[in-house]
Amino acid sequence: MPLDYRRFNGPEDSIPYNYYTKEYLKSYHELHRELIDENGVRKDGRTLDEARSLCMFFARTDMISQAKGSAYIELKKTKVVCSVFDPREIMHQNEFSALGQLFCEVKFAPFSCPRQRRPHAPDAEEKALSVALRKALEPTVCRHLFPNYQLDIFVYILEHDGACLAAAINAAGLALADAAVPMYDIITACSLAVIGDQMFVDPTEAEENLAIMNPEKDGINNGLITMAVMPELRQISDFRQIGSMDVNCIMKATEVLQKECEKILPNIQQILVLNVVNSFEQQKQLEKEAKEREAALNAKMEEWKTLLNAG
Amino acid sequence: MAGLLLSPTEKIYILHGVQDDYRSDGRTNIDYRPMELETDVVSHASGSARLRLANTDILVGVKTEIDVPKPDNPGLGKIDFFVDCSANATPEFEGRGGEQLANNISNMLQRAYNSSQAFDLKQLCILEGKQCWKLYVDILILECGGNLCDAVSLAVKAALFNTRIPFVKAALMDGGSVDFQLSDDPYDCKLLEAGTAPLLVTLCKIGDKCVVDPSAEEESCSVISLIVGITGNPKYYSKDAIETPNFKCKCSTIGMNGPGSVAPETFKNAINQGIIAANSLDEALGRALLRERQECNNFKKNSYGFLK
Repeated sequence: MPLDYRRFNGPEDSIPYNYYTKEYLKSYHELHRELIDENGVRKDGRTLDEARSLCMFFARTDMISQAKGSAYIELKKTKVVCSVFDPREIMHQNEFSALGQLFCEVKFAPFSCPRQRRPHAPDAEEKALSVALRKALEPTVCRHLFPNYQLDIFVYILEHDGACLAAAINAAGLALADAAVPMYDIITACSLAVIGDQMFVDPTEAEENLAIMNPEKDGINNGLITMAVMPELRQISDFRQIGSMDVNCIMKATEVLQKECEKILPNIQQILVLNVVNSFEQQKQLEKEAKEREAALNAKMEEWKTLLNAG
Repeated sequence: MAGLLLSPTEKIYILHGVQDDYRSDGRTNIDYRPMELETDVVSHASGSARLRLANTDILVGVKTEIDVPKPDNPGLGKIDFFVDCSANATPEFEGRGGEQLANNISNMLQRAYNSSQAFDLKQLCILEGKQCWKLYVDILILECGGNLCDAVSLAVKAALFNTRIPFVKAALMDGGSVDFQLSDDPYDCKLLEAGTAPLLVTLCKIGDKCVVDPSAEEESCSVISLIVGITGNPKYYSKDAIETPNFKCKCSTIGMNGPGSVAPETFKNAINQGIIAANSLDEALGRALLRERQECNNFKKNSYGFLK
């Protein structure tokens, strides 16, 4: 990892103190038992198949005034900001590209993760997330409309509590729509963790961590899936899985994720429709104010005219 | 592929062929092109393999080093993948040109080998929490003729199967630090268990169907390909095959490549197809590797490649 020499970096081989706390030394089984109580309810009060898209979801646009379009998405503790900038010509390019390019960058805030502090230079995970985001967005943007141009999409993860790639894709889709970039469809994404043959829809960070840990028993399914979907066109634009799962598990997970992705769609649509309604009302208000001002000016004019005539 | 121009009619010809499960070079949709595999080709590496699949030529060397395990996984060893796209392969790789492709492939491998059911890192542990083996898997792409991911994963599995790790004879605890005595005898070493190591299968979507191991012409007909990592079956990799009746191959990673998208039904069919392809590939690889090892043990090894 390249070091940033302008900062004080601390000793090279330091590790966070919480590796030695009681919480951290718990075995796989203890952690697994803690995730879910006897009624099948997770730590944050959700059931296994309940995503955070309904009551723990908040999203808005117009976060960043300088950007062409921007969005902020919150899934309880996962908080993501995304901004989209105007297309600009690609510099120093050798050949003409008929399709526009997307440039995506995902960045974690240094304090975003509960386990380790994030370095300032982009690490391997951030690079992988950036590539994943670009792959998910490429099919949905009408790239043939801006040949030889590049569209910049920046995602900043303020707080990470699981499903950060899904949140980043959702935020980027909303920001692209807010920036009025021509798209074939709104893009939505959702992730799912499989731990010991149980499916946790929209996992938190603790659940994700356990899903990629290696179970002591062999032969059970565990892993993590993130899927991005274009709901109206019924197309999968990105699918990434790690861990080990058998075929049936993946098929089932695909169906569950598809349904969840469709559930997010109304949330996004509502925000976009509200934006249009608001801007219409704003327009009306402005027109009304303009008319009032004109009327006032005309009245003043009349007044002056009479004064001049009298004088 | 540079300089490849196909007319729309030729593309339709390929597409119709794929629909009928009969491709332009006579293969079915799950057939690979013939390949050449040779192990133990680099004398300074602990394990090595060279694979040639049509025009793709790959050389893999495994180096072992002693390292300290990560504090959150004290009982596990480490494995790292490095892909080097040399400018010999295609002029596009010159300078930093091949970097993105190389990162892509090494990320894919890292994710595929992440699960313990794919590759057991416990066998690399020397002393829990203190010392472990670290495997550096260096992948050199000598010639690039498409379908890199599959070829690389095959070559890596062959090289890991061929890797020997010296036995540790004695360990002395001296205060906090550990002292080892490794065996001097180069034949006194253990072989890695790489039977479950995953193979990556790239499925190229053409029309509604997918094909494995696409030729350059077929690649230009497709906008998206699916990469599926399937764990191997250890029974193909040992002579005294212990029959595990309900052994099931698992997916250790799935990813997508390319700018397109795919319908859910096509996606599901593709995964099933990938598992069938990976299974037959795994069986063939196992057979070839076992034969190679047999020859090695009898000192009757014939070398075929350019390296010897």
